[in-house]
Amino acid sequence: MVDLRGMKRILKIDRRNRLALIEPGVTYAELQPALQEEGLRIISPLLARKNKSVIASLLEREPVISPKYQWNLVEPLRSLEIVWGNGDKFYSGSGTFRGEKDEDWQAGLVPVVGPGPNQLDFNRFVSAAQGSMGIVTWASVKCEVYPQARKLFFIPAEKLEDLIDFTYKLLKFRFGDELFILNNTCLANILGSQAAEIEFQKNELPAWTVVVGITGGHILAEEKLAAQEADICDIAQQYGLRMVPALQGVRGDEMLDIILGPSPEPYWKLRYKGGSQEIFFLTTLDKTPRFVTTLLSAANERQYPVPDIGVYLQPVHQGVGCHCEFMLPFDRANQAEVRKTRDLFRDASHRLFRQGAYFSRPYGIWADMVYNADARTMLVTQKVKNIFDPGHVMNPGKLCF
Amino acid sequence: MALEDFAAEMDRCSSCSYCKWMPFDQIKSWRFAKNCPSIAYHNFNSYSARGRYLVARSLLNEQSETSDTVRQVVYTCLACGSCDVSCKGCRYNLEPLEMVRELKSHLVEDGQRLGEHLAIIESLRKENNTMGAARSGRGAWADGLKVKHLPAEKAEVLFHAGCRISYDKEFQKNARFAVQILLDAGVDLGILGEQEMCCGGRIYSMGYRDDFTRLAKANMATWTKSGVTTVVTSCSDGYHAFKRLYPKLGSEVEVLHTVEYIDRLIKEGQLKFKNEVPLTVTYHDPCHLGRQGEPYIPWDGVEKKIKSQVVVYEPKKPRYNGAWGIYDPPRDILRSIPGIELVEMERIREYSWCCGAGGGVREAYPEFSTWTANERIIEAGSTGAEALVTACPWCERNFLDAINGQDSGMKVLDIIELVQRAL
Amino acid sequence: MTLPKNVYKAFEDIVGATNISDDPVVLDSYRYSLAHTAIHLGPYYNTFTPRGAAVLLPGSAEEVQAIVKLCNKYKIKFKASSTFWSAQGYPSEENTIQLDMRRMDRILEIDEKNMFAVVEPGVIAATLQAETMKVGLNTHIAGSGCSCSVLASATSYFGSGPSNLYGGWFYDNLLGMEWVMPTGEIFRTGSLGSDCGWFCGEGPGPSMKGVARGFLGAKGAMGVFTKCAVKLFAWPGPESLPVEGTIPSYRAKLPDNFKAYTLAFPSWKAWADGVYTIWDTGIGYLAHRQFNMFGRDLKFAMVKILTDPTKTLGDLEEFLADLEVQEVTGQMKRDFQIVLVGMTPRDMAWQEKALDEILARSGGWKVEAMNVPEIHDWALLYLIRLGHKNLNLVFGGSYDGCFGLPGSADFGASNAEEAGQFKKEWEQRGAVVEAGGDCQMGPIGGQGGGGTCLWENFTCFDPSDKFSTEGTLEFFDAATEYGIKRGWGVGMEKWNGAARGPDGKTTSKEERDKMHLSAPQPNVFRYQHKVREALNPNNLGDEYFCRKN
Repeated sequence: MVDLRGMKRILKIDRRNRLALIEPGVTYAELQPALQEEGLRIISPLLARKNKSVIASLLEREPVISPKYQWNLVEPLRSLEIVWGNGDKFYSGSGTFRGEKDEDWQAGLVPVVGPGPNQLDFNRFVSAAQGSMGIVTWASVKCEVYPQARKLFFIPAEKLEDLIDFTYKLLKFRFGDELFILNNTCLANILGSQAAEIEFQKNELPAWTVVVGITGGHILAEEKLAAQEADICDIAQQYGLRMVPALQGVRGDEMLDIILGPSPEPYWKLRYKGGSQEIFFLTTLDKTPRFVTTLLSAANERQYPVPDIGVYLQPVHQGVGCHCEFMLPFDRANQAEVRKTRDLFRDASHRLFRQGAYFSRPYGIWADMVYNADARTMLVTQKVKNIFDPGHVMNPGKLCF
Repeated sequence: MALEDFAAEMDRCSSCSYCKWMPFDQIKSWRFAKNCPSIAYHNFNSYSARGRYLVARSLLNEQSETSDTVRQVVYTCLACGSCDVSCKGCRYNLEPLEMVRELKSHLVEDGQRLGEHLAIIESLRKENNTMGAARSGRGAWADGLKVKHLPAEKAEVLFHAGCRISYDKEFQKNARFAVQILLDAGVDLGILGEQEMCCGGRIYSMGYRDDFTRLAKANMATWTKSGVTTVVTSCSDGYHAFKRLYPKLGSEVEVLHTVEYIDRLIKEGQLKFKNEVPLTVTYHDPCHLGRQGEPYIPWDGVEKKIKSQVVVYEPKKPRYNGAWGIYDPPRDILRSIPGIELVEMERIREYSWCCGAGGGVREAYPEFSTWTANERIIEAGSTGAEALVTACPWCERNFLDAINGQDSGMKVLDIIELVQRAL
Repeated sequence: MTLPKNVYKAFEDIVGATNISDDPVVLDSYRYSLAHTAIHLGPYYNTFTPRGAAVLLPGSAEEVQAIVKLCNKYKIKFKASSTFWSAQGYPSEENTIQLDMRRMDRILEIDEKNMFAVVEPGVIAATLQAETMKVGLNTHIAGSGCSCSVLASATSYFGSGPSNLYGGWFYDNLLGMEWVMPTGEIFRTGSLGSDCGWFCGEGPGPSMKGVARGFLGAKGAMGVFTKCAVKLFAWPGPESLPVEGTIPSYRAKLPDNFKAYTLAFPSWKAWADGVYTIWDTGIGYLAHRQFNMFGRDLKFAMVKILTDPTKTLGDLEEFLADLEVQEVTGQMKRDFQIVLVGMTPRDMAWQEKALDEILARSGGWKVEAMNVPEIHDWALLYLIRLGHKNLNLVFGGSYDGCFGLPGSADFGASNAEEAGQFKKEWEQRGAVVEAGGDCQMGPIGGQGGGGTCLWENFTCFDPSDKFSTEGTLEFFDAATEYGIKRGWGVGMEKWNGAARGPDGKTTSKEERDKMHLSAPQPNVFRYQHKVREALNPNNLGDEYFCRKN
């Protein structure tokens, strides 16, 4: 076990090139305030754990809440310093411009390029690799401008289907910054600090809600905000929806405060019952309703309480894909619940997989499912593993190794 | 010119492949984007203008010898000029159309000839037409027409019928219509009838320059003898020959296509339409009236360089890139006929798709020629038009022959037929 | 090399008799002049790529697979290309089968909601764009223009172009792929391999997309890509471009939510300031320093020629002598083009205001002469369709690019003037077009959202002129030396020097090793060698996939 938490330095923040150079122990909780001081921010996952490493999150391809900035799926990750399983130290992208010398920064020799170098995409080999190819000891990450003005709105609906085309329109136009869909349970989990509150909120909140944050950057921020607010409102109306500044129990600005930072303790997914099993995969937004139906059917069959299930839909890669996540809370102390949840997890995973869910981050049983079905990927991945970790010392037993 | 004169171009062509497509700005769909029939059909790079530059180079440098393949590559070029238009969308110092003509001529001079083409030459030499028909029947289309017969009589304006119209019974009426319209407009018009000889345009594009020159000089002499100062024709192939090729040999007559004359008469108020012709039509721009129908500008100059390596010409060289072809007169005619609705295909004007008849291809490669025509018929059908209208009997014949082989409701009409119906 | 009859017959049985040829003249039409056009080696006068053993036109992935398996059986190298506009697509050795992918030219799917398209290798960006516009979408187009294969740019080469900024470059946009590997197995990557559709290029787990391409692709040396999906982006405009005008001066009168500007700045620092702020602000649909490829001194005169169908290159000197042209040329020294596209009227209004604010803060201005309607509409069409890229060669018939080092905008701005001056001095020697030294062209934003620039310094020459071609090579060698001396690195003029040498064939191992060992990270090429060993054990590709064993 290699514990990188001690490597906690923020090596450099470059406002001009909107880059931060960080070590693997740096968390979102530490990075965001430091970036804000420089007029920057980093697009983050939804309420990451407080101690979540930025590099780990990005390497795991955890979805980020602002799809418009993801020109490719590993963004905002850029150059990396990697120690491969064979012991080689290596720089992907333009990481050889380590940026340690001030004159390099002055000259513009900065690690702003992610791909390569040359004809292999080395950063992809450590992406979602669960530590099985190498260890990343340093990364440059892309930052966005810290906005001078922000607002957040909710677009509620009783049926998920009613929100799909509206969301697609926003994605197409790249309107909105933060953009995702939650069901009532998931939103209640985010807003509530304890089970009773969550239980109450679940029943008060609309069945489904699009959450859209609007940012004005640093140039004519208020004008941008006003233009997008009006446009998104118009678009909502076109789809027979309402854009509202508040829902029962939460205002837009309050929601912003919540989602822009890491999760306070206890971690939001654990507040309802103490334990949570997630099923997540990639798909396209239009297919999500049927996956929801499948999951709920499986839950019903296994008498898992459907109202407890949180659903989080996060468009990624500027909308070409969608992270679909189901949260199954359970009481760790209740063995029957533990068993039920585990069984539902397995059953639902298989059903969803057969239905076309793409388990792009193949943890646990998903790895077997995925690699058994895609033998070619498995073989090529194994060949690559043999190159970068010929001794198979890196996290054995993960993925298809 | 000789093939060697294109050696610099063979190097300066950079394989961009623009010659295979219509000008990219104009592309509206995947389906109708290609514009060189020969590579669209045959697929090997050799069948494009770029490919032919390389073929020419290979032959010139004796890196390969003429083979059946070489003959096919060279002679399947329709000489339609679409490659030339697309290339010149950006380039000012390449002449792909001239090069392929030169390549054909090179093969002909080298004795690399096709039997099908030799049959045409034979017919020309014996009977002054490309149709394998007796010269005595050439004037039959005008039987009964009260029109001057040159050179026995004199006239300022000659109507040249052309080989196709003269001998193709289905089209003879179109020539009669044209002549009558001009006569009714008071034009001092004559025809040569049986004395008419082929314009030589077709065989020029097949590479038979000597025979072309012989015909051209003979025609020019006859015109002079007949007092002709203007030649009008309904055949776009002939139009191109008279307008663009004959001046190089000294011809100074004005050359008009029938559509230009009729358009003029309509705009001057001398032609008025009484009848409605309720028809949705689409117009096919013949290569030799459209992109190859630009005015001839004499030039005799040399290449020079400015700014060290910018290739220009002294004096400035005229540019033939399809910009000034005859596109609007036929459209104006159609729009002025009551009841006609004109819908456009995607490949029109200077980037029109060839009918497949030209360059000796119809005669030597009928399957490819028919395929090319069919492509156009499909495109016409995609507009919803009931009729495909054009202004060249070669295009019409190729379309009609292609349609006859299928179950298509598309009509093929010469523009003069619609004019006649509307009068 | 002549293919043995039985081998020829075996290939013929796969593709059909009309889709294979080993006729010498056909093979010669599949040779590329090394005195040409952005091949980043040489140029070498009167030198061509070698003649291949045969050329095949496969019609399906199954045919490609069968061909590749046969090549493995008989140990024959193969090289696939789609549009053949670069030496990269041609054989490096004589024992090589040329695959011409033009018959595989279908657009298989356009997913309007999820904004991606699935294409075969023969699909060019022009036709894909024409089809996507019908459903309110657009595709990124690589800088070499819309005549190029979308799949080839995305899977096998570079894929950077004017719409990087908003649309992402092809590295960003590449989704699932169908790849006939060098050994003949079919590899479907990403979500495609899991039978979940085309939408995701990553995973499962570590992305094996990373063995297909990195910053650059394998340039045809590692199997054949037979399908891929690419991400699209919004097109809030008409279903087809409303083109008017007389060839070549076509222009498009688009609605008010489309504007093309040429922006110019008083200094390189101000230029970079403007660029960074544009990136920060998130405006712009495409941005490129495009017309500077004609050269600082010649660009506006060229714009005048190109927008007037009665003018030719022969009018260049007249335009250069025109005082108004001179004045605008001076204004446009440190410039680039940007197209603003508003998704809605409010969006457009805000972007326009933001741009004005950015110019005010950076001291830049809009070049008004480029806003004249005929020129504006011409520029808009030019940049959106990118269908005039053989203008790269307009002067003498050839060009190639030097310097072109990717980096931050400050990096490019810091060396732009010096690189331009260096070239200007060489222009005086007469081998290349005297264009004003700074002929640097490149995207404003080498990747989605901006962040990098890469400026190719256009060097125009006459490939049929030995003095010109050899003088250009001399200049490029000098440019490489200069770049190294100045600490910038080896420029793009040598990008393919390791692949092919002065005789048109593969560079010697000794030379290649020397180049790779002098790279900042020689290990890159050792790993690439291992990947090649693992995936291409019979070594059936050329050295365009760089490696060092």
